[in-house]
Amino acid sequence: MNPIELPDASEAPARRGLKLWLSRLEGPQTMGRGPAFWAVVVLAVLAALSYPAFANDYVVGNAAYFFVWTFMAMGLGVVWGYCGALSFGQTAFFGLAGYAYGVITINIGSAFGATWLALLLAVALGGVFALLIGYFMFYGRIKGVFVGIVTLSVTLVLETFMAQTAGPQWRIGDARLNGFNGMSGMPPLTVPWPGGDIMLYSGTALYYVLLGMVVLCYLGLRMLLNAPFGNVLVAIRENPERAEMLGYDIRLYQMLAFGLGGALAGLSGALYTAWGQYITPSSMGLTAAALPIVWVAVGGRRDITATLLGCLLVIAGFQSLTIYGSQYALVVMGALLVFTVLVTPDGLVFTAINRMGRLFKRVRR
Amino acid sequence: MEFFPASFSIFYQFGNAFAFLVISCAGLAVIFGMMGIINLAHGEFIMCGAYVTASTARAGLPLPLAIACGALTAALVGMVLERTVIRHLYHRPLDSIIATWGISLIATQAVLILLGPSMSGTGTPLGSTLVGERSYSIYRLVLFASAVGLLGGLYLLFYRTRFGVIARATIQRPEMARALGVDTRRVYGLTFGLGAGLAGLAGGLYAPTMTMVPTMGATFIVESFVTVVVGGADIFLGAAPAAAILAVIKAALTAWYGQLFGQIGLLVAVIVVIRVMPGGLSAFIKRWQR
Amino acid sequence: MKKNPNRHLMAAMLAGTCIAGLPAMAQDGPIKIGVLEDQSGDFAAATNVKVHAIELATKEINDAGGIDGRPIELVIYDTQSDNRRYQEFMRRVLQQDQVDVVFAGFSSASREAYRPIVNQFDGLAFYNNQYEGGVCDANMIVTGAVPEQQFSTLIPWMMEEYGPNVYTLAADYNFGQISAEWVRQIVDEQGGTMVGEEFIPLGVSQFSQTIQNIQESDADFVVTLLVGAAQASYYEQANASNVDLPMASSVNVGQGYEHKRFTPPSLSQMHVTTNYIEEIDTPASNDFVERFRAMFPDEPYINQEAANSYIGINLYKQMVERAGSTDHDEIRAVLGEGDVCFDGPSGNVCLDPQSQHMSHTIYLAKVEEDHSITFPEVWENIEPYWLGDAGCDLTQNDPSAQYTPSNPPPAQ
Repeated sequence: MNPIELPDASEAPARRGLKLWLSRLEGPQTMGRGPAFWAVVVLAVLAALSYPAFANDYVVGNAAYFFVWTFMAMGLGVVWGYCGALSFGQTAFFGLAGYAYGVITINIGSAFGATWLALLLAVALGGVFALLIGYFMFYGRIKGVFVGIVTLSVTLVLETFMAQTAGPQWRIGDARLNGFNGMSGMPPLTVPWPGGDIMLYSGTALYYVLLGMVVLCYLGLRMLLNAPFGNVLVAIRENPERAEMLGYDIRLYQMLAFGLGGALAGLSGALYTAWGQYITPSSMGLTAAALPIVWVAVGGRRDITATLLGCLLVIAGFQSLTIYGSQYALVVMGALLVFTVLVTPDGLVFTAINRMGRLFKRVRR
Repeated sequence: MEFFPASFSIFYQFGNAFAFLVISCAGLAVIFGMMGIINLAHGEFIMCGAYVTASTARAGLPLPLAIACGALTAALVGMVLERTVIRHLYHRPLDSIIATWGISLIATQAVLILLGPSMSGTGTPLGSTLVGERSYSIYRLVLFASAVGLLGGLYLLFYRTRFGVIARATIQRPEMARALGVDTRRVYGLTFGLGAGLAGLAGGLYAPTMTMVPTMGATFIVESFVTVVVGGADIFLGAAPAAAILAVIKAALTAWYGQLFGQIGLLVAVIVVIRVMPGGLSAFIKRWQR
Repeated sequence: MKKNPNRHLMAAMLAGTCIAGLPAMAQDGPIKIGVLEDQSGDFAAATNVKVHAIELATKEINDAGGIDGRPIELVIYDTQSDNRRYQEFMRRVLQQDQVDVVFAGFSSASREAYRPIVNQFDGLAFYNNQYEGGVCDANMIVTGAVPEQQFSTLIPWMMEEYGPNVYTLAADYNFGQISAEWVRQIVDEQGGTMVGEEFIPLGVSQFSQTIQNIQESDADFVVTLLVGAAQASYYEQANASNVDLPMASSVNVGQGYEHKRFTPPSLSQMHVTTNYIEEIDTPASNDFVERFRAMFPDEPYINQEAANSYIGINLYKQMVERAGSTDHDEIRAVLGEGDVCFDGPSGNVCLDPQSQHMSHTIYLAKVEEDHSITFPEVWENIEPYWLGDAGCDLTQNDPSAQYTPSNPPPAQ
């Protein structure tokens, strides 16, 4: 009798470098694999690329506005969905980076691509601050709902503090913080160009830049989450003690994930400030802090694709409701939340994708 | 006798802060400590109690009865809500945040649509009294007394009555309680109703002193939230001492540096306390007791 | 609460935008006025009435034939007391709905959020709220009262009546801080003393320590610049503690009608300088109130913002008719002539060409024990002089900035 020949994993050729990373686009931690899935993704990106041809400038600018928020949602998806820590204070990093972008660009202007440098610095600041808070929390063995409370307190402290910086003494260089009324006067993202700098106000050009960022970020996160790093995060989420006993320093991984989430939230913040040339302390308040949680919860937190799609759907949906539903918009939003938790606790989009996936499998057989 | 007015003033400020924290967090503490549910609609139960109290008081009912009406209405609403929604969320704290936040949105907006953007209040009863050179509102002292009474009453309820024993048993070991013949679903429903009723009571007690708008719950929610979480799961070993400590910090900072430092100081204190005692105060005290 | 009366207007607007986004401004079609107001959320109490005032003015103008024969069409959005909605909808209303003018904003934060967008699209926006002053922006027309109009009348009167020691209690953000600055300046000029100044973060509702501080000071009267429902709880608590001092404010009563919502006598001895409240007993005012209540019988209160919005629509009508078009440069040229005035519910008001703010008749309203209102003093035609004096001249240049007494326009 022939024994079944099992492949010996140690003899398999090791994949290196780019191939290794590209292979991580698919994996156990993210939904969707195979040519069918990637065909759909490519179609979606193509559709998004050609969207401005069919829609007027306002609608495209509005879509760009939606893209701005996706980074915060994806960051929260990593921290909450993959690492299991509900952070109620992503808006703290959002606001910090937003103000940083404003302060830097008001002081150094927008020539020679300075706004992009400001964007980078702002995101870095958000990330560093998140690492600090993460260190404070996770190395102090804070977990569960306490993470939520501490992060909420952080964002509220920032909001309360910034709201009273209206006086003229509150300035960093040329930039007045201007308290509750908010800081304005910063330039949008500006591309240096020989004929004349291109200012990326809300419109088609900004839309393409943001679309590119979203796609890059999404693919990058897929690769990261299917890498050993992502596997450890999920292990921590499922059973922290077991992960620790397997030898991983869970505090380090949690802190790094939190830092990543903070950097992404900071990216949203800086982009929001660049989009609207305005940042205000109320973007760090209680209602603002609860919104990302709503998007991620309704979209689906266990998977980055669901989070991304869910965020876009929910934001667009809420806006439409406000426009066409007037007073009842908030009632419908609340009902949607309750419905999601009771009927599809893994998230509306996540459940929908799962069902569709199962449907396709049945169809193929 | 300069000492007496000065110390009375300090006691009054502390009592004020303490009463606010205890009364506003009692309902949340019962629900969170007993059932592991974070009730973000807590502010709306307070609003419900306040609105009912104000309406019945204006209709002629004496204030204590009006407050009781407010508390009862909130309790009933709570029990209905428990049956329909909360039942499915036990020991799922993160999901309960979202569901209850949704309920809070619905409640605030529905009240705005149905009852308008504000409601006329009732005046604060009992007037004022002079101590030293300053006058103090007597009602504020009543609030402090109510806070202490509330803690005492809850202790009696949970540790000296049959319901209390059954409730604690159900929360600690639900399968065992069921095996002993306890209808756990009813106990959960009643306990949630109690938590909601306590929130309504907070609303009723504070209604004469505040402006009443549909979003009035927001003033209470952050401070009650942090008090409960700092306190930990047990209301007596946790929430009450937490309220005392936070009240001291808040009152002192407000007295020395103004309201801004009071607010920020409270939140920073929360961060520090949680860092030092990751399970909350009650976990720390329990460990220390052993 | 009544059914949403905007439903048919919203449907018309929906139909309009669905029928292919017409790019060019229809020169002979209706004149579109965008309205961005907080009809839900924290600010709803004081802003629903603004939308009603705009609807009243629109109906009256349309019944009389419209502006130059063209009817007014309102495009109304609910901004939910959220600055982000202001940004989203200002873009929508200017880019997609292509309105000719926008009436927007309650809080100063919302105005600062949408101002960059109005500037980017070179739109025209009316800000109809009282605020801390200082907006020097050619795309904005401000009908709300500013500190020099309210405080330069109020504080000297209070000091003469009650004494020179002043305690200020202000909300801890731009409006409160700048107003407190104004109070400090005027008290200084009049030879009085600031015996205390306290700033309260927004959303705080417990005032025991503050009340104690006030009692310990030697104040003759308290200037209260409290904003929002939570902070308004001060009045009830101060009354319960029997503080018993006269109060002066620029922001209560005239905006949030606290004297109707709180039980007497918590607001007694409150003095407010406002450019309009419904209790004003002049023929113009009474006629306005009558017409308002005829269209909106359930309106809780007609405040100064409602009057300003009503006046704003009528001023816009006048400027468009005099300019012969809705083009912004031509409208501003008419404004520059310096005699755009209107006889409205509060009397005669004019737009100042240098700052594009409005002159006001300022009424001193005193709240009595039973919360009825008396008017001990009226000041006619108080100009918004500060911006012009400080160097803002919109007929010459457009800095599009907001200035404060400690951050005035740069010397030219």
